[in-house]
Amino acid sequence: MKEPSKQTVEVPVATGDEDRYRLRMGPQHPATHGVLRVDLELDGETIVACDPQVGYLHRGIEKLAENRTYAQTLILTDRLDYIAAMSNNCGFCVAVEKLLAITPPLRARYIRTIVNEMSRLASHLLWLATHALDIGAMTVFLYCFREREILLELFEELCGARLTFSYPRIGGVRQDVNAYFIDGLQRFIDIFPEKILEYETLIDTNRIWLKRTVGIGKVSREKALSLGLTGACLRASGVDYDVRKHQPYDAYDLVDFEVPIGQEGDSYARYRCRMEEMRQSVRILQQCIDQLPPGPIVGEDAPDLHMSQRIIPFREARVSAYGTGLIALSHKTKPTYPAGDIYVATEVPKGELGFYIISDGSPRAYRMHIRSPSFIHISALTALSEGGLVADLITNIGSVDVVLGESDR
Amino acid sequence: MQIQYKKKRNLLQNLFLSELVQGMWLTLRRLFTKPITLQYPHEQPNVRRGFRGQHALVRDPETHTTRCVGCMKCVMVCPSRCIRIRIQKRPEHGNRRFISAYHIDALRCVYCGYCAEVCPVNAIILTEVFAYSAFDRKSLSYDMPQLLDNWDRYLAEQGEDLAQYVNPTWRPRGLPEGPMPAGKRLPVPDDWKGKGQVVGRLWRQSVQGQNR
Ligand code: SF4
Ligand code: SF4
Repeated sequence: MKEPSKQTVEVPVATGDEDRYRLRMGPQHPATHGVLRVDLELDGETIVACDPQVGYLHRGIEKLAENRTYAQTLILTDRLDYIAAMSNNCGFCVAVEKLLAITPPLRARYIRTIVNEMSRLASHLLWLATHALDIGAMTVFLYCFREREILLELFEELCGARLTFSYPRIGGVRQDVNAYFIDGLQRFIDIFPEKILEYETLIDTNRIWLKRTVGIGKVSREKALSLGLTGACLRASGVDYDVRKHQPYDAYDLVDFEVPIGQEGDSYARYRCRMEEMRQSVRILQQCIDQLPPGPIVGEDAPDLHMSQRIIPFREARVSAYGTGLIALSHKTKPTYPAGDIYVATEVPKGELGFYIISDGSPRAYRMHIRSPSFIHISALTALSEGGLVADLITNIGSVDVVLGESDR
Repeated sequence: MQIQYKKKRNLLQNLFLSELVQGMWLTLRRLFTKPITLQYPHEQPNVRRGFRGQHALVRDPETHTTRCVGCMKCVMVCPSRCIRIRIQKRPEHGNRRFISAYHIDALRCVYCGYCAEVCPVNAIILTEVFAYSAFDRKSLSYDMPQLLDNWDRYLAEQGEDLAQYVNPTWRPRGLPEGPMPAGKRLPVPDDWKGKGQVVGRLWRQSVQGQNR
């Protein structure tokens, strides 16, 4: 009888410290706000190494933009940060307008500011809801969705969609606001400050909330700057930087608002900053409604949806503005779009969203790069979480407010 | 503006868990208010006119077929490239073009509404129908009879007369009428045309002040 061969069973040992435990969190973990995978190396319950992995939601938006006209690329920007799609749309339009050197009319700029702030509110409400849910406050989640629903219904009236708006146009907006929308918005603004107080009653001084957020995920001022954080995350660390204030676009230079700045740079400070931002948004909305001027909603030199190679002023092309697009395309007229490159940043709820567009004079971008705040914030997770507890990683993911659609593009 | 970081709590508040009591009181009050949840399949949401939902091809009351003239604008403008049209020229009708096939792949569509906006004769429309899921891919790739049926069903549901019907996806509110093709200049209310816009309170006051 043959001897059974002696098998040596190799125990897989992690390189380095044998006490360490490797954990792969996500991509289906509900607290990762989408499909984020975080590779963790744990020593007991302490995170020794934290390595975020992105790319599960990659759709190649930057590449797709290369063979679509600017007007068609606009609908792709809806799919970046799907929670605040309106801000992305506006950001893209501002970038292309700067490239084509057109200015939208005043009314369109005001309307864009209104929808921008509404989407900031919608995004912050969803952030508060999910952040609180991750930490264990279920009530806030439901209360926030109650208010967010009002905003989404207003958006539906305005542009016919609840999430993927495609509402702004290059050189204006698609559709004018009507009395129904403005009245609804006014009613919302009237009740909303009370609602913010309600959320604060629930969690502001709640001792579980304080235990889970105060001192968690601390970043100093210098660290925040070197990590490239923007938006509320940067402001919570004490840096006064807001694109709306420092490089105003749309109608932000015509309204009066303040930028909330924190000191501590921890999760609680970020939470407080965003709550104050919501109050400021309400202020901006009220001013915009009060100052809304009459006038056209698209500029005279705005390109049409076909992005025909020549920009046709409406006056000149009375007879067949809709047809000239086709003719221009089939006749291969000399491209008159400006060539060159441009970087334009706008302040979206998550931070600074930048569009870098290289144009070769055709109605398509030769190359478009999107500087998305979520991607940079995810990369900061390592610095935020290392040395902390596993449970605090959830707080950190929630409090830097990432959306994976924007990070992976 | 500096944010207020952490509210101070005094000893009494600490001792009696005041913040928990406040929170509980808030949620308790909610218990006696009307629920806001919409029981969806039993109650239908109020979808606003102009919602970008299922596609339909408008059936012309005279010819009983589509109004489409085969200009291909919608095909060119569609960002997801999901519209396919085949055109035929029949010699007995001179140069008139006939649409022999019209396909929309609803699974590729992103519901941007561009097609309805550029169509010069308002042939295609995005209706307010939002619940039309199916179990297979094939039934969501609409051909022309299906699209025309969508329209018939939609019109019957809405109880509208085609003669008076306009949809914001055809002609967004407030766009200038000048450069529009004739088919788009439908009779619409004044605020839709861009007259009598909603303007802000402060703006109105300043204009009145100047007039005085
Ligand atoms: S709605 Fe947009 S994506 Fe859908 S068929 Fe029309 S143009 Fe194409
Ligand atoms: S734009 Fe209208 S008329 Fe032209 S091909 Fe499309 S549906 Fe037909």
